[in-house]
Amino acid sequence: MNAIEIDDLRVKYSNVEVLKGINLEIPERGCFAIMGPSGCGKSTLLKAINRLLELNPDVKISGDIRLFGESVFRMDVTKVRREIGMVFQFPNPFPHMSIYDNVAYAARCNKIVKNKKELDELVEWALKKAALYDEVKDRLRKKASQLSGGQMQRLCIARALALKPKVLLMDEPTANLDPIASGKIEELIHELKRDYTVVIVTHSPAQAARVADFVAFIYMGKVVEVGDVSEVFERPKHELTEKYVTGRIG
Amino acid sequence: MDRFKILLLPSVSLAFGILLLMLITFFLNSWPIFEREGLAIYTSNIWRASEIPEEEFYGILAAIYGTVYTSLIAILIATPISIGLAVFVVDIAPRKIRELIVISTDIMAGLPTILYGIWGIFVLAPILSNFMVFLHDSFPFIPLFSYRNPTGYSFLTAGILLAIMVTPFATALIREAYAAIPPIYREGAHSLALTRYEATKLLLGYIKPAILAGILLAFGRAVGETVAVSLVIGNSFNIHPSLFAPGYTISSLIANQFGNAFAYSYMPHALFAAGLALFFIGLAVNLAGVLVLRRWRYA
Amino acid sequence: MLREIKNGVFLFYLLASSVLILLPLAHILFSVSANGLPVLMSRGMEFLTSTLPGPNKPGGGIFPAIFGTFTMVFLSSLIGIPLAILAGVFIAEYPKSIISNLARPLMLIMLEFPTILVGLFVMVVVVIPMGTFSAIAGAIALAIIMLPYVTTYTEQAMRTVPESYKEGAYALGLKKARVVFAITMRLARKGILTGMLIGMAKVAGETAPLIFTAGIAWRSIGGINEPTGAIPLWIYYLVQQPYANYHEMAWGAAFILMLIFLAVFLPVRLMMVRS
Repeated sequence: MNAIEIDDLRVKYSNVEVLKGINLEIPERGCFAIMGPSGCGKSTLLKAINRLLELNPDVKISGDIRLFGESVFRMDVTKVRREIGMVFQFPNPFPHMSIYDNVAYAARCNKIVKNKKELDELVEWALKKAALYDEVKDRLRKKASQLSGGQMQRLCIARALALKPKVLLMDEPTANLDPIASGKIEELIHELKRDYTVVIVTHSPAQAARVADFVAFIYMGKVVEVGDVSEVFERPKHELTEKYVTGRIG
Repeated sequence: MDRFKILLLPSVSLAFGILLLMLITFFLNSWPIFEREGLAIYTSNIWRASEIPEEEFYGILAAIYGTVYTSLIAILIATPISIGLAVFVVDIAPRKIRELIVISTDIMAGLPTILYGIWGIFVLAPILSNFMVFLHDSFPFIPLFSYRNPTGYSFLTAGILLAIMVTPFATALIREAYAAIPPIYREGAHSLALTRYEATKLLLGYIKPAILAGILLAFGRAVGETVAVSLVIGNSFNIHPSLFAPGYTISSLIANQFGNAFAYSYMPHALFAAGLALFFIGLAVNLAGVLVLRRWRYA
Repeated sequence: MLREIKNGVFLFYLLASSVLILLPLAHILFSVSANGLPVLMSRGMEFLTSTLPGPNKPGGGIFPAIFGTFTMVFLSSLIGIPLAILAGVFIAEYPKSIISNLARPLMLIMLEFPTILVGLFVMVVVVIPMGTFSAIAGAIALAIIMLPYVTTYTEQAMRTVPESYKEGAYALGLKKARVVFAITMRLARKGILTGMLIGMAKVAGETAPLIFTAGIAWRSIGGINEPTGAIPLWIYYLVQQPYANYHEMAWGAAFILMLIFLAVFLPVRLMMVRS
């Protein structure tokens, strides 16, 4: 079964159509990259999947998105977001909360664990999984605002993982990080994609080539080409795709 | 320094000058009572006027008590309402209702305080006196209800009236801060499968200093209010734990007693000493609020 | 399930907060109208043109109060507005100077300063030397109270004028004073005007500062160096009297005051929404 199926998704922002009928099948596990030039709807597509678009009252959505066969629009939105975690372009750990609380708060609210001891273990597990634990284990109670950009992003990954999701959405996660921090995140993605379905939006074809197993090329709100990463990069079927992966448009 | 700046300087300096002059004036005019009574003016609850100057003795402890008591009641009521209102306006209210609420709270903030006063004395106090009589007769053993024959002119009435008057200030500050939270944190909170209650609690933690500043400024506003309070507090020297008891606040004491103060030698000076106390309380609380806000904004 | 319940209670609390705050406002406006309008209706123009009657005697009006309010608001504006605008200009044009950095929090503090203390202060420096309560003393007290409002609105209005306009003017060789008065202030005039009107509406409703400065006048209107009445002041004293006709007149005066306030405040506020 596919982890996510997107069925003729159309999204309008105040009468401007941003997504014009998207059809995608995202298989379970592995890393699925959505690439394309800036401003063509990639972030919008991602935010549609975990229904984050609904925070904006001017948005109109039609079509369907299914998570393991069930339509997300018919599920309780809290459940959707528990199963589908998200990491954002700008690392956004809550600066007024400690590192521990950043990871623990949502897990506690969603009753992922039963008691304090299990919560401590969960926080440790999540931070380890996000390759951050060793760097912060002595200052879990310090405020998250004291971390570097790369560390903040890994904290956000830990925070999302603490909810035990099945899918992890990543919206240009390294766009605002330096090359070393970016490298660490990409390493992490290689680890995570063994257990989770990772859907990553990227504006860098090179990054897609590095981390993804499957890739979709989106241009002006439409899917131009989709397939195995080596297929799309070495033998692109569409002229636009070739232009994009060779850097002639971007 | 260019000429233009020099030209404008006097107008700005005027504000500082006035504040300084006020401080000096109050000090000078309170001095006689400090000389005579020392700090007893603030620590005792006596108001003994007399034709014979040697027998005059004044202590405004009751007024200080009343000021603090009523302002505390006011912010205890105003704080949750201000926060709830701010969240409602920013997160939930549709555009039209949002505008209506914001304009209404602005009207309330600017409305002449005497209108609150006349409503308080002729409408609120009578309504509350019914409740007070009921509560006193039913639970007279509870200290908060323990004043006999409550008339409706009391600490509680003043506190409620003050709460109504200061909420618009507090909520405007909190609302602005809440609306200004960067969208990435809002999106982050919601992406974590939180209910509205849980996400809001998180985001309110982000603006905690603004909430504190709002409370401080509201308290500062409450201590300074005069006419509305003086019409509903009962104007009597009373240090009583009951909500239903009448009392004084520093500002209502000054307003109420100054009329006949000049008939006595020391009473005017006592009232200036009261004004000095109010000056410092008002300055301290407002300054604290402004500083909390500044430090947070530049963090 | 508990999670859902907590959320539900929370939503109810949010709604309740809005109702709890709007209810008193509606009730106040309603009470003032319901008690005040009939007084005006039954007494007609006389209410606005005559002076205070005797206790429980028929007829009479609040003319001295209306006259006093208008006189003192006018005088205080004359004194206070130019100074406040200049102060606002200074803070806006020299934002980094030490004085400006101190002035900004000072203005915020003065906005909520106990107004009765301002009245006491002016009593010492104006009333006692003059030997009498007076309209000018009241006006000075009101001017001090008006100051922070006009200054902060002026400063904000001037700060929002885009730099490009100012730069263009400087590039043309204009001196600073010219640029400020001819260009920046002209572009900021809406905000400055708003500040003036808000300040005037605010002081028109003030009572405490007038208690020790304007004194009171019930049956006459004097010069600016004589005791004066004012609408809020009349209301304050009349409600404390034991006579029913005075209470009636207080409600009528309150209604007039409410109308004056809303007539100035609402258009100004609605104009702010548009921008």
